Amino acid sequence: MATVFMKWLETRPRDYARGIRLLTLGRLARLHTKIAERWIQPGERVLDLGCGTGDLVLQMAARDAAVTALDVSAPMLAEAKQCLEEAGFADRVCWVCSSAAMLEERFEPGSFDAVVASLILSELPRQIRLHVLRQIRQILAPQGRLIVVDEVKPERLIARALYVLLRAPMRVITWILTRTTTHPLPEFDRMLEAAGFRPERRGAALMGSLQVVVAGLKQKEEGGPERLPVLGELRHRVTLRTLLLDLWGLFFRILPPYPRVEPGLYRLGNPGTESPVLATGNFDLTVRRLIAPLDGRVDAWVLVVNSSGINVWCAAGGGFLTAERVIGAIHVSGLESYLRQKCLILPQLCANGVDGWKIRRETGWEVHWGPVRAADIPAYLQAEMQKTDSMRWVRFPMRDRLEMMAVTLGFYGLLILLPVAVFWPLLFRPVLLSLVGLSTFYAIAMPWLPGRDGLAKSLPLSVISLLGLGLYTWLVDPAPASSIFARGIGLAGLSVFVAAELQGMSPLMRGEQANWGWEAVIGAALGLIYWLVPQVLGWR
Amino acid sequence: MAESPGLGSLLAEHWRLARQLRHLRIRFDAARCKGVWECYEVCPVGCWLPDRVRGAAIFQNEEGCIACGACVLQCPERAIELR
Repeated sequence: MATVFMKWLETRPRDYARGIRLLTLGRLARLHTKIAERWIQPGERVLDLGCGTGDLVLQMAARDAAVTALDVSAPMLAEAKQCLEEAGFADRVCWVCSSAAMLEERFEPGSFDAVVASLILSELPRQIRLHVLRQIRQILAPQGRLIVVDEVKPERLIARALYVLLRAPMRVITWILTRTTTHPLPEFDRMLEAAGFRPERRGAALMGSLQVVVAGLKQKEEGGPERLPVLGELRHRVTLRTLLLDLWGLFFRILPPYPRVEPGLYRLGNPGTESPVLATGNFDLTVRRLIAPLDGRVDAWVLVVNSSGINVWCAAGGGFLTAERVIGAIHVSGLESYLRQKCLILPQLCANGVDGWKIRRETGWEVHWGPVRAADIPAYLQAEMQKTDSMRWVRFPMRDRLEMMAVTLGFYGLLILLPVAVFWPLLFRPVLLSLVGLSTFYAIAMPWLPGRDGLAKSLPLSVISLLGLGLYTWLVDPAPASSIFARGIGLAGLSVFVAAELQGMSPLMRGEQANWGWEAVIGAALGLIYWLVPQVLGWR
Repeated sequence: MAESPGLGSLLAEHWRLARQLRHLRIRFDAARCKGVWECYEVCPVGCWLPDRVRGAAIFQNEEGCIACGACVLQCPERAIELR
């Protein structure tokens, strides 16, 4: 179930398009048409940065422009491609799957007459945004222009108040329907200036909250430093904030919005030109758990890669942490200028989604798969990046099992206990106690219960829980047969659910979706028994 | 306007994924293996071991495979498949 929830959180391209239409009340499409008609001439070389589902690509291709469509998400590009194919324009477009931070690597200077960036700059972390703008400047021809469509907070007071009031509920509704949202772009003009652009014309829609800015290049290019500064130092600190975050995360860490760390380059200790570079995702808990055993023991660079605020294993599995994002992060950080050797240590548990060879090929960096547990990193570095088997193999010790139990309980608490409390308040206490009891027992006893996966282990768990029920009936509450029967069915059902679902939290087993077929069958069988037996025995 | 899939097709899709995930198995074309051992490097559950004598990888512990796909993605020879 947790995996379904995570899947549901992923924005599919069509949902994204729907969400954006909802949020902009359909005005974005009209702005796109306007841009294509007014600012793009036939035959011009145009880059659509972050093309998404290809709405603007289509409009510009229809105007006979030579369009290059770039997006970091392969599913989005596929959707856009299909849309263009249906319109018969696919051959006019060059498709590039890449991070927006790699423009200078992908394109020659002066390659484009226009770059359009529609609702993309506001998606990027601040540092990367500035970096991308500077790169756009390089790949534009001298007379070229940058066309930005993005959300901004309106300037006029009434419009601003209305915007804030209307946007909040709109955002929530849109997010629930499509898991899509947008963020307003802060202090954009200043950043444009800093990157070497001069805003020339602008248009606006939706009371000024959706703006189009057309910017040309400033004549004199100041030779500012290209390298972005190190974002700061990472220290292991326990504060009220981290304690509260940990408490929340113990039960509800799979509920968004996830606490994040700003992606970029950080110092750990006092790293120099020979120090190792450790890459990780930008989920707050991930970064803190990486730092905790290293602070004070290791001097290293930490490259926090944008993983959409998700831990490395789930992010890599779900397509949020990819080779493109790692390559983009290396590039933006300017790491090469801090280092003598080009050697990156990736977490081993992102190897399910980050193509190491692509990083090696495109950056020329050495890539090493670090140990599974951060606590092993000092020993791993000491051994000159040689892993022992115990460093590369996952374990699921008691502590982790109990932690994961709490995470599932938090989620199922909302999923099961909330409806039970509302619709069957009398059942709330027994269901709560059974769920907590079964989960705790299972988390502790898991390795000793016979069976290879959660589904197989659910049989001994059911038997033990039914024995427990028998004992309870005998010693504490000698209830009539019909109610013992109902309790038994409920307990067996919950046992199967708990064992089969907790499988998804174990690093030693396949995802819990593997069990759904059987879970559904067993659930239906129990339901049938629950309905049939009282009929036969005449209890009703 | 593109419609999102209905509940029925969503369930069918999940059912298919569940079956697939349950039955996915590693297919290893040992002849293509050149002994880079990235599989051994990245497998979190110890399904791969280096055979240092023959300069190849050995697939073992099939029961333990969690079908994460790391070895498939990191094999430079494309010698591993999950089917």
